[in-house]
This record gives sequence, C-alpha cells and structure tokens, in this order.
Amino acid sequence: MSESLIQVQNLVSGYDDQIVLNDISFEVIPGEILVILGTSGCGKTTLLKHLIGLIQPFSGQIKLLGQDLINSNEKELLNLMRQVGVLFQNGALLNSITVAENIAIPLEQHTNLNDRLIEDLVHLKLSLVGLSHAANSLPSELSGGMRKRAALARAIALDPKILFADEPGAGLDPVTASSLDRLLLNLRELLGMTLVVVTHELGSIKRIADRILFLHQGKAVFYGKLSDALKSDIEPVQRFFNA
Amino acid sequence: MEQIQITLPEQINHSLIKDLQKEIAPYKSKKFEGQSVWLDFSNTKQLDSAVAVFLHRLKEDFKKQNIELRWINTSEEVEKSLKLFSPLARAKFEAKRKNFFETIGELGYNLFNQFVESIFLFSNIGFWAIVSFFKPGMRRKGEIANQGVLIGVNALPIVALIAFLIGFILALQSAAQLRQFGANIYVADLIAIAMVSEMGPLITAILVAGRSGSAITAEIATMKVSEEIDALTVMGVDPIPYLIVPKLYALVITLPLLTVFANIIGILGGAIIGVTYLDISIYPFFKEVFSVLRYKEIITGLVKSLSFSIIILLTATYFGFKVKGGAEGVGRVTTASVVASIFFVIVADSILGLIFYFGEPAF
Ligand SMILES: Nc1ncnc2c1ncn2[C@@H]1O[C@H](COP(=O)(O)OP(=O)(O)OP(=O)(O)O)[C@@H](O)[C@H]1O
Ligand SMILES: [Mg+2]
Repeated sequence: MSESLIQVQNLVSGYDDQIVLNDISFEVIPGEILVILGTSGCGKTTLLKHLIGLIQPFSGQIKLLGQDLINSNEKELLNLMRQVGVLFQNGALLNSITVAENIAIPLEQHTNLNDRLIEDLVHLKLSLVGLSHAANSLPSELSGGMRKRAALARAIALDPKILFADEPGAGLDPVTASSLDRLLLNLRELLGMTLVVVTHELGSIKRIADRILFLHQGKAVFYGKLSDALKSDIEPVQRFFNA
Repeated sequence: MEQIQITLPEQINHSLIKDLQKEIAPYKSKKFEGQSVWLDFSNTKQLDSAVAVFLHRLKEDFKKQNIELRWINTSEEVEKSLKLFSPLARAKFEAKRKNFFETIGELGYNLFNQFVESIFLFSNIGFWAIVSFFKPGMRRKGEIANQGVLIGVNALPIVALIAFLIGFILALQSAAQLRQFGANIYVADLIAIAMVSEMGPLITAILVAGRSGSAITAEIATMKVSEEIDALTVMGVDPIPYLIVPKLYALVITLPLLTVFANIIGILGGAIIGVTYLDISIYPFFKEVFSVLRYKEIITGLVKSLSFSIIILLTATYFGFKVKGGAEGVGRVTTASVVASIFFVIVADSILGLIFYFGEPAF
C-alpha cells in the first residue's frame, strides 16, 4: 500500500485563455493529510476540481486511485467517485430536500443497507458534525457554517477512501472548527482516510496538516512537510505563516 | 450457560453487512434465550461507520430477546471506532407526528395569515401607485419603458399569432351554421363582439400572465432569496415604489394596447374566412363590424383588460414576495403564480361579463 493515491504531473490548466495552474506536480500517499494553501483566487478550488475529474486540464497527467483521470470515460469516473467524498466550497447541498435526505442520497444509491440502518447512519454523521438538531431542516434554513458542516456529513456518508474538502472550517467559530479538525483526524486514524484539504485557518493547518502544497501565481512554490513550511524562507510562504 | 462464538473478518465494511446479518440472525431466537453470543474481533483491524452502527443496533435487538451479544478481543482501534460511531437513541430523532386537528388548525391559520398579508401588500402597492405618480424619483429609472418593451413589444408576435388563429377558427366554426340561414354577413358581428368584449382581453391576459406574470414573480423571488430586497430596504429604498410600481404602470398601459392589437388581428382573421369562404366582400364586412361595435363592447373590453393587468401584477408580486428557500423556491412560486393569475383572470372575466351583460349601461 505504499502506492500513492493521487499523482499529478505537470498539470497546466485554466479557463478559456487564462492560465490558472502552471506546471503543478505532487502526490498524495495513503493516510496523509495534504493541505493546499494559497491566496484567494489562486486556483485551489480549480485544482480540487481537477483531482475529482470535474474539469479537464490543458495538459499534464492526473491519476486518482491508480486510474488515469484524463482518459477515463464517464462511467469509469462515476465508479471511481463512489470511493471519494467531496465537500464543495459552497456546500452544494440539494436545496429542495432536507439535510437528512441530502445525506441519505449516497447511502441509498451506493449501498444495500436497509432503511433503518440508513436512518441511523444519517443521524450518526449529523451528530459527528454537531448538527443532530438540524436533520429535518431545509438547507436554506441553516446558517453558512451549518450548511458547510451538513455538506461535510454528506461527504463522509460512505466513509470514503479519500476526502476532498474545500475550506471545511470557513465561517466557523474556533471551538467548532477545532472539533471538526478532531473529527477529520479521527476519521483518518480509524478508517485510514486520506484527506486533501483547502484551508486558510492557521490553527487548523497546524493541527491537521502532514504536508503542504503552496500555490502562488499559478506555480507550486512550496511542496513538503508542515515543519519545513513553517521554517521556509520562500517569500509568499513566509509571509503567509507570519501574517 | 452456553456460548456461541463468531469470528469476524479482517476488514468489515458496509457491503459485508448483509452476510453478517445472515450469519448472526439465526441466534436471535427464543431457543437461545439466556445464552450469550460472542463476536470475536481478534482478526479485525478496521470497521467502517455503517458496520459500527449495525453492531450497536444488533446488540440492542439481542438484548430485547434476553440474549447477550458480547464483543471480544477488540483492538484499541476497533474499540475507538465503535465508540465514535455509536448511533443516537432512536427516540431522539424520530419525528413527532401531527394529529388531525393540529393539521386543520394550521391550515386555517395559514390561510388567514395569507389573506391578511395579501391585503397589506395590495394596499401598500395601491398607496405607492398613487403617491409615486407624483414622485417619479422613487421609481427605478427607465423601468417603465423597459418593462413596457418586455411586457408589450416583445409579446406582439405571439399575441398576433394566437389572436389571428382564434379569430380565424371562430369564424370558420360559425360559418357553417350561419350559412344554413343565409346569415353570412352576421359572421362579422359575431367576430367583432366576441373578439372585442371577450376573446381579445381574455387571451391577451392569459398570454401576458404566462409570459410576464411569471417573469415578474421570478424576478422578485430571485431578488428576495438572494437578499437583494433586504439590501434595497437597508439602503432606505422602498422596494414597492422602486420595483413594483413601474411594473404596474407598464402593465396597465401595455395590456389594453396589446388587447386592441389582438382585437384587430382577430377580426382580420375572421375577415379572411368571411371573404374567402362566405363570399362577403371586404367593405361590407368592415362596415358591419363598425356598425355593431358600440360603446358597450369597447368599454367592456377596456375595463376587463385594465382589471386583468392589475390582477396579473398583484398575483405575480404576491407570489414573488412569498418565496421560501433558495432557487428551488423560485421555481415553485413562479408556477403557483401563473396558475393563480390565470385562474383569477378567468374568474374576473366571468364576473365582469355578468355585470356588463345584465347591468344596463347608461350610454
Ligand atoms: N468557471 C470559471 N470560469 C472562468 N474563470 C474561472 C472559473 N472559476 C474560477 N475561475 C478563475 O480561476 C481562478 C482561480 O479560481 P479558484 O476558484 O480556483 O480560486 P481559489 O484559490 O479557490 O480562491 P478562493 O480561496 O477565493 O476560493 C480565478 O482567477 C477565477 O477568476
Ligand atoms: Mg476556492
């Protein structure tokens, strides 16, 4: 199992004729937590979308769980996606159904568990993110931070091998944020989950990150251990940690 | 006391639950009462949340049957998983159901509330429609012309097409009957009266309710869910005179004009049947049309289309402000708004029709 779960080589990508990511390479090994850092608008969300095959790069190679994403057809991608969980930056809950129903979607679609067990699991996941009381609310009736946590509950519904999380702690108070970090660490420890997380919270980074990928003006200016990042003398990285 | 021992596999995830269930379920019977079943975790390194929940529930079920289900040889990891993934007591999340009287009461309460709300909204709109007439600065700049184009000008082609077809078909259907009595020329009377006092206002209003009523509801609802309305209020701008009143003016001006347009096209459609099928020439046809149309028909049509324009605006606005939830709420109120405004237009049409039919006009 020393094979890396995600491999990105010389990724170049962007929108229309604007290049957002220029020659990015890195890999993620099983059980690690990779934190992607960078200023707002530098392409972190874009990179995540590449890793889950939602958009195609201009050039380069991306492998997820050993499968080449660039040359996969839709069916292969869908099968692959059962093994990953994704927390989108804006939550992306389905607005017309309740929070509990949102979380039940992957369980109903991809497992053969009975309804009672699914109901139990839904409420378990909600209690893990501290939202037991909001099960029957519609997403539009939740606060921003609650929506984010509900979306996280949906992302971990199937105990995915890899969890991609785009700013899980955004809009949360420090106490909730740190309990969420503890949950992520627990999931890694107990389920061997691998995490790719975008976050700006310095406290959070120090608690969870094993490795850091720092994006700056389209380039990966730093890629390595958290401890090295803290001591790094690369300008944008230094500025980030000392801000 | 006897005990049964079952050894679990190394990795258990949700796909194995069905098999586990099959293996363990037989022991949950009267035969094994008072005994204990041991699940041996000595090989197990990892279990996922679904399995943990399943095991907890299994334990509860066994306990009810007075059978002990014991987990043995659990590693620290497994112990921790079982602890983190322990389900809540069911009573905590099972929803309380409403009884019949609560449902009825809630329904009545909501209806009454909606009624009060709509009265408030409508009087608000009425007030500002008059006040802001003298204070054009309160309205969004250029909005009346803008809405006039959207509601009126852009609707010309579809109104023309539908009105033409209605006039044409109406004439065709009646031609066969009128011919039998040699009453060919009366097709002109029939078309003129039917179009001007009934079909023209009605079909135009229905088209505009579908086209523009829905657009108005969707616009207001979208602004509401994205907090744009709140933003306006906070800037000290009253959304009613700023957004709604210009639309009201535009509708009140354009709907009657569109109706006149529809009437003309409809009568032309009838004229084509008259000329080609009933051998009436153009001149006597239109002479008949103009002689039969009196103030009564014209006033009927005008009053109807004015009322319809107000009904369409009020319904569209009411539903727009009523939106709940996010984008999907917008879709819901838009549909409801179109259905309601067509319904109210038809009801108003019948009422006005009756009033004008029985009420002897003074002119
Ligand atoms: N759908 C799109 N079409 C065109 N350009 C886009 C699109 N999405 C993102 N971009 C551009 O790509 C760049 C990177 O965007 P991205 O969303 O990846 O940033 P980010 O690092 O996630 O920022 P943030 O921290 O604010 O979420 C930005 O310059 C943005 O304008
Ligand atoms: Mg982003």
